[in-house]
Amino acid sequence: MSDIVELEEPIGAGHELRAEIRRVSNRARARRLTISRFMVALCVLALAIAAVPLVMLMYELIKLGAPVIDKTFFTTVPATPTLVAPNATGGVSNAIVGSLALNLYASILAIPLGVLVGIYLAETESKMATSLRVVSQTMAGAPSILMGLFAFSFIVHDLNIGFSALAGSFALAVLMLPVIIISTEIAVRNVPNSLREAGLALGAKPHKVSMRIVLPSALTGIVTGSILAVSRAVGETAPVLLVIGGGFTNAWQPFNPVSALPLSIFENAKSEWPSQRAQVWGIALVLVAFVFLLSLTARIWASRKQQVRN
Amino acid sequence: MTLIPPDLREHQKVVAEYNSATTVRTWYHFLLLAGAVLFAAVSIGFVGTIFWSSLPTWLHHGVTLLTGKGWTSPTGPFGGLAMITGTLETSIIALAIAVLIGLGTSIAIVYFIPRRLRNVVATLVELLAAVPSIVYGLWGLAVLAPWMEVTVNPWLNTWPFAKELFGNPGQEYGPSLLLASVVLGVMVLPTFVAISREVISVVPQDLIEASLSLGASRWQVIRQVVLPTAKIGLFGATFLSLARATGETVAVALIAGGVANAQFHLLYPGTSIAAWIALEFGESQGKEIAALMALGVLLMLLNFGLSLISRSLVNRQRRALAIV
Repeated sequence: MSDIVELEEPIGAGHELRAEIRRVSNRARARRLTISRFMVALCVLALAIAAVPLVMLMYELIKLGAPVIDKTFFTTVPATPTLVAPNATGGVSNAIVGSLALNLYASILAIPLGVLVGIYLAETESKMATSLRVVSQTMAGAPSILMGLFAFSFIVHDLNIGFSALAGSFALAVLMLPVIIISTEIAVRNVPNSLREAGLALGAKPHKVSMRIVLPSALTGIVTGSILAVSRAVGETAPVLLVIGGGFTNAWQPFNPVSALPLSIFENAKSEWPSQRAQVWGIALVLVAFVFLLSLTARIWASRKQQVRN
Repeated sequence: MTLIPPDLREHQKVVAEYNSATTVRTWYHFLLLAGAVLFAAVSIGFVGTIFWSSLPTWLHHGVTLLTGKGWTSPTGPFGGLAMITGTLETSIIALAIAVLIGLGTSIAIVYFIPRRLRNVVATLVELLAAVPSIVYGLWGLAVLAPWMEVTVNPWLNTWPFAKELFGNPGQEYGPSLLLASVVLGVMVLPTFVAISREVISVVPQDLIEASLSLGASRWQVIRQVVLPTAKIGLFGATFLSLARATGETVAVALIAGGVANAQFHLLYPGTSIAAWIALEFGESQGKEIAALMALGVLLMLLNFGLSLISRSLVNRQRRALAIV
């Protein structure tokens, strides 16, 4: 942006009037530029303020979380502190096992269906496709606690399966589905039509084209979307809170009550034992590290594949 | 005996092959269709089950749920006024924070920082979105709440109209509606930035250059060209952020205080619909579960309404810019 250039002094008839006009316009320009610089600075300041919580959060997570993580943190089940042994919190292996099981079952439920629906939306033009697209976008923003209510009514109550890993992974699967559907649809739509036509021109049948040409080209996008969906599901507390039951054992079986990392944070964050309140930070650190790892992997992988294609 | 000419035989072969191809294609499409139908069933089940489970409450205590003040478990009455006002208060304050900071942030990301930094900053903002909400809750509870109690609350109480706005000094402690709103603001900020950045960055370069060539300053370009062009999309981003804020559960459950008290003093503890469901569900049975499901229906209607408005606005923006 150019700086203010002072205009030259005028010479000749009527110069006083022209000089006045220039003075006024220079002043107006200076004012505009001052306002502009101020507002630009304000925008950059807003950016800096937006970064503050992330920095603060990371600092606290590492400062408070790292000291409580050791080998027993990963390998033993929780213990309840007593007056004799106030620091006996045990580990969180139950929550780690539970979280892995929940997300594995949820992926098995959600990914195949999500990919199918995504392809359907990308390859058909019908009223049903249009309305399902709106439905999946709306579901993608639905509050996660509602997935918990749904899983409770349907799995725990109506099907009478009770508090179980299955109910929790059902809730997480409903949460993951829209994310997978939307990213699959985008990935399939981004496959160039020339590839499809080349396949058809070689005499391949439509379903062969779809499975041998379109899907492999769209695979990166589909996998990225699935990883992002899992990374969102791992950290969710509200849907599993209502239906998985919790517990102190390393349970992983679909029909058993299980525990989960976010659930242990929720349960122990207000504990009366300082040792348990400290341990919660370790769980949070592990959870955030895992989520960041997943989403960065997805992002880097996606961008590298894109570069290869270009 | 009729002799079939060779080309006709060839033709029949092609037709047979085509038919087998179409049957296989039907099979493949049937699989896709089955997936779509299953998804439709899941989403209908999602809405239907929650509504069905809440039916007893709507039939017997519909009005109480909307206007009642007290929540007496396990027998009732179950009044939802505190949760409804709490949800609106926290999410509107959070939205104000997110929009103020988020708008500046997205403008700065798109126009004012060096190109090389842009991706790094965008990734950082997306990481902010990836942090699980329970971690924000923990941060608010263990770090911000003590700080609010010791430092911020006494300072806020020296403001004019502090008593009307925040409540009587001394009656408040760390967790409060205001703390929940601030943390919610941080949580919905990445949502707002993600969409507003997209909306702002597709403002046509021609318009910006035309304005610059007429001698407009940087801010005048933003103020008179970028923001008016992106206006509808920015409203869309705002509504989507509001939808997110109303649905946030565990963070609010941890830091809003968890007291069902319908009031407007921001430093007093309160709760929101989602947080109340999370807090009460574990110990409730029968009638109370139905009442919580009814709160869930309210939350669902609010959320779906907001995100439908938001999407139609963002789509309108996309169409408008496609024409320009």
